[in-house]
Amino acid sequence: MIAKTGEVTVDGVKVEFGQGETLLDVSNRLGRHVPTLCHDERLAPAGACRTCLVEVEGVRRMVPACRTPASDGQKVTTANERIDKHRRLLLGLYLTDHPAGRSDCEDGAPCELHAMAANYEAPTDWTPIPLTRAGRSEDVNPYIQFREDRCIACARCTRYCDEVEGVNAITLAGRGAATTISTVDSEGLFDTTCELCGGCVAVCPTGAMAEKMPLTAGAPPERELQKVRTTCNYCGVGCQMDLNVDTQASDGKGQVVKITSPPPGTPPSDGNLCVKGRFAYDFVDHPDRLKVPLIRREDGELHEASWEEALEFAAKGLLRVQQDHGKDALAFVSSSRCTAEENYLVQKMARVAFGTNNVHQCAAT
Amino acid sequence: MAGLVATFGAGAMTNSIGEIRDADLLFVIGSNTTEAHPIIGMEMKQAVKRGAKLIVADPRSIWLSTIANWHLKLKPGTDVWLLNAMANVILTEGLVDEEFIAQNTEGFEALPEVLAKYTPEEAERVTGVPAAEIRETALEYAKTRKAAICYTLGITEHSHGTDNVYALSNLVLMTGHLGDASMGLNPLRGQNNVQGANDTGATPIFYPGYQRVDDPEVQAKYEDAWGVPLSPEPGLNLNEMMKETGKSIRGLFVMGEDIVISEPNVSRLEEGLNKVDFLVLQDIFPNETTRFADVIFPAACFAEKDGVFVNSERRMQRVRKAVEPPGQARADWEILLDLARAAGASFKHEGPRDIFAEMARHAPKFAGISYERIEELGHGIQWPCSDDDSAGTTYLHEGGILRGKGLFEPVEYRPSKELADDEYPLVLSTGRTLYHYNAATQTRRAAGLPVKQPEAYIELHPRDAGRRSIEDGDWVDVLTRRGKIRCRALISKQVQRGCIWMPFHFGEARANLLTVDEGDEVTGTAEYKVCAAEVRRVTSELAPKGEGQEAFYPGSYYRE
Amino acid sequence: MKKEEHRERIPDELQKFAEGDGSASVAVSKLTGIPAADVFGVETFYDLLGKRDTKVHVCTGLSCQLQGADELLEKCRQVGLDATPYSCLAACDCAPAILKDRRTLVEVSEKDIERTKGDWQALDSKEVPSSQLWSGQIYPTTSSPETCAIDLAGAPDWMGTSSNLALELGPEGVIAAIDESGLQGRGGAGFPAGFKWKSVRGQAETKRYVVLNADEAEPGTFKDREVMMKRPDLVLEGLAIAARVVEATEIYMYLRGEFEIPQQVMTEAIELAHSNGLYSDLHFHVHSGQGAYICGEETALLESLEGRRGMPREKPPFPTEVGLWGKPTLIQNVETIACVPAILQRGGEWFRALGRTEAGSKLYCLSGHVARPGVYELPLGATLEELVEAAGGYIGKLKAFSPGGASSGFLPASERNRPLDFKSLAEIGSMLGSAGVVVMNESVDMAKAVQSQLLFFERESCGQCAPCRIGTAHQRHSLDSFMDERDEAAKSRCLKQVDDVAWEMREGSICGLGQTASLPLESARKYFPKEFQ
Repeated sequence: MIAKTGEVTVDGVKVEFGQGETLLDVSNRLGRHVPTLCHDERLAPAGACRTCLVEVEGVRRMVPACRTPASDGQKVTTANERIDKHRRLLLGLYLTDHPAGRSDCEDGAPCELHAMAANYEAPTDWTPIPLTRAGRSEDVNPYIQFREDRCIACARCTRYCDEVEGVNAITLAGRGAATTISTVDSEGLFDTTCELCGGCVAVCPTGAMAEKMPLTAGAPPERELQKVRTTCNYCGVGCQMDLNVDTQASDGKGQVVKITSPPPGTPPSDGNLCVKGRFAYDFVDHPDRLKVPLIRREDGELHEASWEEALEFAAKGLLRVQQDHGKDALAFVSSSRCTAEENYLVQKMARVAFGTNNVHQCAAT
Repeated sequence: MAGLVATFGAGAMTNSIGEIRDADLLFVIGSNTTEAHPIIGMEMKQAVKRGAKLIVADPRSIWLSTIANWHLKLKPGTDVWLLNAMANVILTEGLVDEEFIAQNTEGFEALPEVLAKYTPEEAERVTGVPAAEIRETALEYAKTRKAAICYTLGITEHSHGTDNVYALSNLVLMTGHLGDASMGLNPLRGQNNVQGANDTGATPIFYPGYQRVDDPEVQAKYEDAWGVPLSPEPGLNLNEMMKETGKSIRGLFVMGEDIVISEPNVSRLEEGLNKVDFLVLQDIFPNETTRFADVIFPAACFAEKDGVFVNSERRMQRVRKAVEPPGQARADWEILLDLARAAGASFKHEGPRDIFAEMARHAPKFAGISYERIEELGHGIQWPCSDDDSAGTTYLHEGGILRGKGLFEPVEYRPSKELADDEYPLVLSTGRTLYHYNAATQTRRAAGLPVKQPEAYIELHPRDAGRRSIEDGDWVDVLTRRGKIRCRALISKQVQRGCIWMPFHFGEARANLLTVDEGDEVTGTAEYKVCAAEVRRVTSELAPKGEGQEAFYPGSYYRE
Repeated sequence: MKKEEHRERIPDELQKFAEGDGSASVAVSKLTGIPAADVFGVETFYDLLGKRDTKVHVCTGLSCQLQGADELLEKCRQVGLDATPYSCLAACDCAPAILKDRRTLVEVSEKDIERTKGDWQALDSKEVPSSQLWSGQIYPTTSSPETCAIDLAGAPDWMGTSSNLALELGPEGVIAAIDESGLQGRGGAGFPAGFKWKSVRGQAETKRYVVLNADEAEPGTFKDREVMMKRPDLVLEGLAIAARVVEATEIYMYLRGEFEIPQQVMTEAIELAHSNGLYSDLHFHVHSGQGAYICGEETALLESLEGRRGMPREKPPFPTEVGLWGKPTLIQNVETIACVPAILQRGGEWFRALGRTEAGSKLYCLSGHVARPGVYELPLGATLEELVEAAGGYIGKLKAFSPGGASSGFLPASERNRPLDFKSLAEIGSMLGSAGVVVMNESVDMAKAVQSQLLFFERESCGQCAPCRIGTAHQRHSLDSFMDERDEAAKSRCLKQVDDVAWEMREGSICGLGQTASLPLESARKYFPKEFQ
């Protein structure tokens, strides 16, 4: 556990803190909810969104909890009239620069800003300001769309791209109210160092960085999708991911319309995914999928068959080889792509049903 | 894998992925991590950001080499020379961990004699890596306690792949960089469940949990469990199976693998497949092997079934069914149960949960793992996990090496099976890119990835290209003694002179038509990383027309 | 992980990059090893980098507006000159001003614009041709070293008298003198200088820097320009004394990019000093800003010096502890540092006594509706009346004035006898700031004046924190809609919103820009309520 380095008082409760802990860490540990929009535990704190301001006794100005280190003897207040007013007004101000209707805004991912504004009863009737952030509508990459009207310039995406993914494809650009997210010379992502990991989409609190495919396909908003936690089927890292399923689609068979990451801190991938894991799921519904058993009949062509017939045909065919040429004339190639249980069954079948140790998975090293 | 089983007693990453960011030194060899394992690549970037030293050994310049403290740009296939020379330095400088060696290892005595001739200067001559860099990196590795080695197919896909692993094991054992967090030897697995397939016995020599088929006690245990007599004869490994296809192998069952695109020296394999009596395939898409099949079973993909994948760090994690398979497709486990039953076996399983339970019951390394406990512990369980009190093992060999004693296996350099010569003066290596996966069965059916990286290409050094009058984007033929493929040329200093490189993902330009089918003697792993080749420009009238011609776009994000 | 050592070169390299030669960001990325997107982020932050194709920038600071800036813009449009409105050029005493490429032209007339026939290169001020190294009017006009610490009219001293004295006094002696003088930072915050010097000197880290803040961009302010033009000797000497006290050898002088002429003067001054054998132990680095008001904020300035977007850092830690490249850094304003030589020569007590309500003499920048705009060195605590008297009187009848730049808001004529010092102005919710005093007569429409200031803040907000980024835009738009609105209920809703936003900007913003940006509106409403009905 954390080595104790001091004690702070948060809303009257004394709490120990460890090396490197911030007021946000300590407050969270105590269960005192301090709101954040620009924070992500994988990133160095920015203190830019200002939602996490709290009071420290003896300090005139409110301080950002996310980047204020806890120090011994501090007395911290996370909620009082001033802080509440600040949160309410700040969130009201954010909403003047953001799509007003929550359901319109949340056509893709849930919007943390709207949720927080509702939670703190922020004014929703303030006069909106005109949008001056530039977008990149000409970016034709198939996966990631920047929707400038939703952007709150919290820079989670650009910091993720820098600090976690390390490719620095996107940046804060411009100044003042026009501050936006851009690439070098506003190029399309394909023409940049972007690796399309989609981390920007995952960390975006407002759906400004959005996944294109579900939007284009008119998939239901994320809140109506069922999330199924599973393991990625590409490389050997075994990233955890949530398949977002439209359960009504495909005549009730369900359809994976999006993949989202689990929260930071989830092993083994810390909530990160790569381009294949996050975006290359549409093969699941590809028309090329094999849907019916096929057997090669006397005409030399493959024909559709019933499961019963195909299974019997296959078993007989393999057993005939065994009879004609011996047990070790059969070889079983198993798959590193299939589950542990399925690999277990292949080797058990080879050894038990066909009596051979000629079984090996496809990616032997 | 076999190499590590022999020297350490377990063929898996010694560390957890999450420990990489806390390492003080990373030695990445034969692994283009940011493309093949992007998430582990991120961990490495975190480590470097934190101040960790990074040594990259790779014949090519890769993303990681751009942030590395040292890039040992060795000639393909000379890894043993490099690693032995590093070991030589460590020995000569007296940086071996004598206490660790005495307590935890055996076979050290034989090492010095073998290493004697592998001086950095000689190594420079063979590998092309400056002797000074070999020295520096060897010293840095030896002196840094939290030093982790990561490797991938650049180490194993050689005819001497197991030797490479032995040479790495020797480095680890002689410095005692083992048995604690963020230090050790880590093979990064290329497929979601390579580890699981090995773990659960899909190998010719092991039952589940690395229990040898020729061990009478093990055999008796499984005969008792499964109720049938079992063969104590180790079977053929994959490479041998492929070579024997059409010869001693007359019938095949192939699940979830396009052997025609993935296995080396395809021309010979296709000949063999034409001769087999019976071929059963089970897959989610039709593929290059389909035309040889007698039966094809439509299978469910990962989103359509329950089960367990085991990742590189030995973590057994759940796969969960989210949607129904298309048409009449069924989960592989369902098909397998029915097929075994149709072949007369009495498999009494209900589903993945009890199949897993049976697997774990007879494999001591997994005995404490079950669906229930995976749910309970929340984030999968890393084996070894021998009973219900264990939460699994984040790093191996704590308080003693699993094998009992770590085994030094001194190795001598053996050249790759095919070296460049006058007729084929270039050395061809193959590998992965970020945007595709294996035979691209899935990724080329994804909407976006083929747009980012539509087609195959061969990377060629400007000097080699110039001598052949090849320009960037030209159509070229890549030729080896086994075949010829046609693709575009990518002129890049990412490869060194005399070396060419191509991705193996593309069916119409199958790298495996070119590669040799000589496998490693122990594992059978094919030598995809080294063969002799030549490249010739295709005259414009012969060049393929149509789509993509003007838009040559390799999609590679690093190009020197 | 990134090779950061060349990052500081980014602005300079971008500046060198001529337009039309392909992507500047990509080229500079290759030169520096900094990712191209990062470079682009820097490029688009600064006006002089991001808008290189536009060569004519018309100053729309309040004083220039009072002298016809809007008409100049309109004239540019008429003759087909591609011109953009620009934030205050620190030439309020020579209004109206135009930035031509990087050269500030002053007293530009509509005729000057007409003569160009649309060719920007032909643009020049007939009144003050650009061949001249122009500077402004000063007061007193003759050397008065007894009463003026800076003494703009005095002859430069290239003997290093004070710095030699400082060596004799030793660091502790120098600090004692500074403490005794009561010298407060003259960049705006009024922070005791001696305290900063001691803090830097007391740091455990031994690599330290001294930074000169010459990013003079607060509307109505142009005193640092005059100090550098007329007394570069004092600036260098003050810096040298400070550097030796805090044991730094590297001195970074950050001049706003539009100060092409002062930069030339300072560069020559460094050469002269070095050739006279002065300060050979010190390295002066002259750095050009690239067009961003916020870089006058000390931590934004540090970010900018490091080659980043000029976004202020959270304080604490203060630059005295964690400053340039993370090292302890002493940052002082030009005027502040220029006071140091006189303090050492004549003593802290002398300096303290120069002031009336607070310590020292003070440079007041006077512009707007007065007879002789210029820089006036008077006792700290002088009143507007005294200032204007020295300047030959008002033009028209005094209506309002802004005592310390845009951030200080507006005061009514009734405050004409209030001491212009840090404390007295703070008492009424205003501030002395940089002492950029802008005088407005009865012809001025207060709403329009407020509009000008709000537009300035909106344009110059760095965009990092939401209260300022959205708030500055919100306040300006609110004022627009307020003025257009006829419905009383709607008007009062609008005002309530403006108050709420102002509160939030004050409480929530990271730096002084956002914290004070509502002040012009709030103060104008307070003192001139009729104009907002």
